[in-house]
Amino acid sequence: MTKFLPRLALLSCLLAGSLFAQYDLLLKGGHVIDARNDIDGLKDVAIKDGRIAAVADSIDTSKAEKVVDVSGLYVTPGLVDIHVHVYAGTGMKGAYSGDNSVYPDGFSFRSGVTTMVDVGSSGWRNFPDFKQRVIDRAQTRVLSMLNIVGKGMGGGEIEQNLDDMDADATAKMAKQYPDTIVGVKCAHYAGPEWDPVERAVAAGTKADIPVMVDFGYFREERPFEELVTKKLRPGDMYTHTYLGRVPLLDENNKPRPYLFEAQKRGVKFDVGHGGGSFWWFQAVPSVKNGFIADSISTDLHIGSMNTGMKTMANVMSKFLALGLPLADVVRKSTWEPARQIKRTDLGHLSVGAGADVAVFRLDKGEFGFLDVRGARNMGDQLLSCELTLRDGSVKWDLNGRAGTPWQEAQGSTP
Amino acid sequence: MKSLAVVIGLALAVTAAAQTPYDILLKGGHVIDPRNDLNAARDVAVKDGKIARVEANIPASEAAKVVDVSGLYVTPGLIDLHVHVYAGTGARRGYNGDSSIYPDGFTLRSGVTTVVDVGSSGWEQFEDFKDRVIARSKTRVLSMLNIVSAGMTSGPEEHDTSEFDPEATAKMAKKYPGVIVGVKSAHYRHPDWTSVEKAVEAGTLADIPVMVDFGSNYPDARPLADLLTKKLRPGDIYTHCFAGNRDELLYETGKINPGMFAGRERGVKFDVGHGGGSFRWDVAVAALKQGFPPDSISTDLHVGSMNRGMQTMIRTVSKIYNLDVPLYDVIKMSTSNPANQIKRTDLGHLSVGAVADIAVIRDERGTYGFADSRGARYTGSKLLVSELTLREGDVVWDLNGLAGVHWKDVRERRRGQGRGRRRGQR
Repeated sequence: MTKFLPRLALLSCLLAGSLFAQYDLLLKGGHVIDARNDIDGLKDVAIKDGRIAAVADSIDTSKAEKVVDVSGLYVTPGLVDIHVHVYAGTGMKGAYSGDNSVYPDGFSFRSGVTTMVDVGSSGWRNFPDFKQRVIDRAQTRVLSMLNIVGKGMGGGEIEQNLDDMDADATAKMAKQYPDTIVGVKCAHYAGPEWDPVERAVAAGTKADIPVMVDFGYFREERPFEELVTKKLRPGDMYTHTYLGRVPLLDENNKPRPYLFEAQKRGVKFDVGHGGGSFWWFQAVPSVKNGFIADSISTDLHIGSMNTGMKTMANVMSKFLALGLPLADVVRKSTWEPARQIKRTDLGHLSVGAGADVAVFRLDKGEFGFLDVRGARNMGDQLLSCELTLRDGSVKWDLNGRAGTPWQEAQGSTP
Repeated sequence: MKSLAVVIGLALAVTAAAQTPYDILLKGGHVIDPRNDLNAARDVAVKDGKIARVEANIPASEAAKVVDVSGLYVTPGLIDLHVHVYAGTGARRGYNGDSSIYPDGFTLRSGVTTVVDVGSSGWEQFEDFKDRVIARSKTRVLSMLNIVSAGMTSGPEEHDTSEFDPEATAKMAKKYPGVIVGVKSAHYRHPDWTSVEKAVEAGTLADIPVMVDFGSNYPDARPLADLLTKKLRPGDIYTHCFAGNRDELLYETGKINPGMFAGRERGVKFDVGHGGGSFRWDVAVAALKQGFPPDSISTDLHVGSMNRGMQTMIRTVSKIYNLDVPLYDVIKMSTSNPANQIKRTDLGHLSVGAVADIAVIRDERGTYGFADSRGARYTGSKLLVSELTLREGDVVWDLNGLAGVHWKDVRERRRGQGRGRRRGQR
């Protein structure tokens, strides 16, 4: 009996501690950037039961069971990467519905990403398989835009088959999973017809979700200008903004006026960096002269992960190198993409929101950034992800900030 | 006339390439190549995917491409002796499925060019593993077969002695020599020696080493000291050596188990195998203080370790480096030592003629936190960062674009020219 008393006492102390603590976790001393709530300054962030419980100038450390010192760091909503390919594991060679995809969790949290949108790796025919194989098993929140091609991004002729582009079936599947399917993707089309874009838009209209277009071949029969000024609806997205063959710049290296018209109409431009879709010679003059992509995203896949793209934090750092303020870069990676996919529950730190949080260190120095052709641009700032929370639990902790010094850890010998 | 100029231009270009003896030259770096006892400023030239020359001051004019690596360390591509990469099968709990990850997104960015999957597959599934992962990876993936025929299922098979088949295991190993480089015994939860004994039997039949994850701790029925001094052969490998789960550190006395020293004396090798639950700072600190460094540094990469204290190979190497082990030694523990352990002496060094698997590493100073597998933090002052990785002479990772060209110097391919590559066929 006496043997158990101390344990009981300890247990009740612990229970009382957690019961009485108002918050589970307190991120103390950081600089919060939360575009939705117009916050760009020093704030403490408290979390309870997986949700944001308080954001205030100073929250008493005694109110939290665990306090993590994040002074000198930036606290942002968990990033929303709206262009990835994560339909891995099918064994399909040379396809984004297979070997070209990666599993999400090894790439998301370590870069501050808590939500990913797989854009078009699966279509309505194989979405259920994608869901059970990846979405349901990932710790990252994985959302999907269905490819207008029923078989998804299977490569080669599969993606060129107009007979497998069915707006009704696509919209029907989207409506069946409204929490997960957030858009329709049209991609990689080589032919001269507008049909893939038109059917994607038809599916998007039926399901009341946006469309994202990768324009495939850029052909005279279907000019890019017409895509963004006429074919796409307000709220639809063009991805791969700074791809080499997009007609962005005029003879004087100035963005063409129709681009601003398109943005004014409400068409959104997404970065979608990828293995072939971000060229410095397009991005530098465009951004310098005011044509700036709305959302920053990676186009994560096996061909981009080890080349110029690398990680979401690296792609964001490229936009710092292009001269964008940090607050804009964060907004374009959180609240802006969340709005684009109509998931306004995500991408911010409002009280009551799910506690998906990223903590970044902003290093100063000399950093090189490659584009997709091996062209290098230099920057003097680099974002590194220090800490990532998903629904309030620590999923990444680069420097062990949420840990205890090893000498004090339970069971250690001197 | 115009085409004549093109032809001449082409001829000149071809001649230039033909006249440069080397494809790529890493210039100005400090080479650490323990196998060749080299720890000095050297340039490294690569030709046709092989190391062509390692010397001070190789002229830049002799290479088609020169990469300035001054201020950086040039080492053999790292060899991670303990990973789980048998992904994609859909098996929910097993390391022959969802607990594994595909290698290329974790290796090259961390300086690793060779990994050894230890026991995710047994002999039954090895050929599926080979087709599904080994043959499709840029990383060189080698394997130790699990003594469990069904592999690392995380289910009852791993503890069922009727699943242990030394003959079938050795037969499969002999069919793929050099790819199957060992036999794994792991996770065994019963107090008998069957798992270890059968693995050693298979290893002896196929003339390859055995790696042991010692499973549940039975200090009386099968003590660690007996494993290391009686059961394992010289050259066999004890992994998770700083786990603290099986009396590696005797907590009552604060001493490293004398059996560990005795095992090392006999030639048993000790591997880190960090993992999600197998690296404790108190054990590692005590071991290094008491003169027991690991023979090989490895990650035990899998879904449960990648986002926790382990993180990456280069950070795992940094951990040991911060325990006052010289840089030369930690590189040895991640290159030539593991290569020797798996008898792949063609790997893990920069000898002329060897495959040009190379890591370029920055040695940073600052304040860094390193969590162990319990979340206990060690604060260190040194961090190794993987800058550039070459696999068979190709640049497969380039953190800061060292091998790139300034964007203004790249010939612009302007809009509207040609139809471009068809993205779907990439």
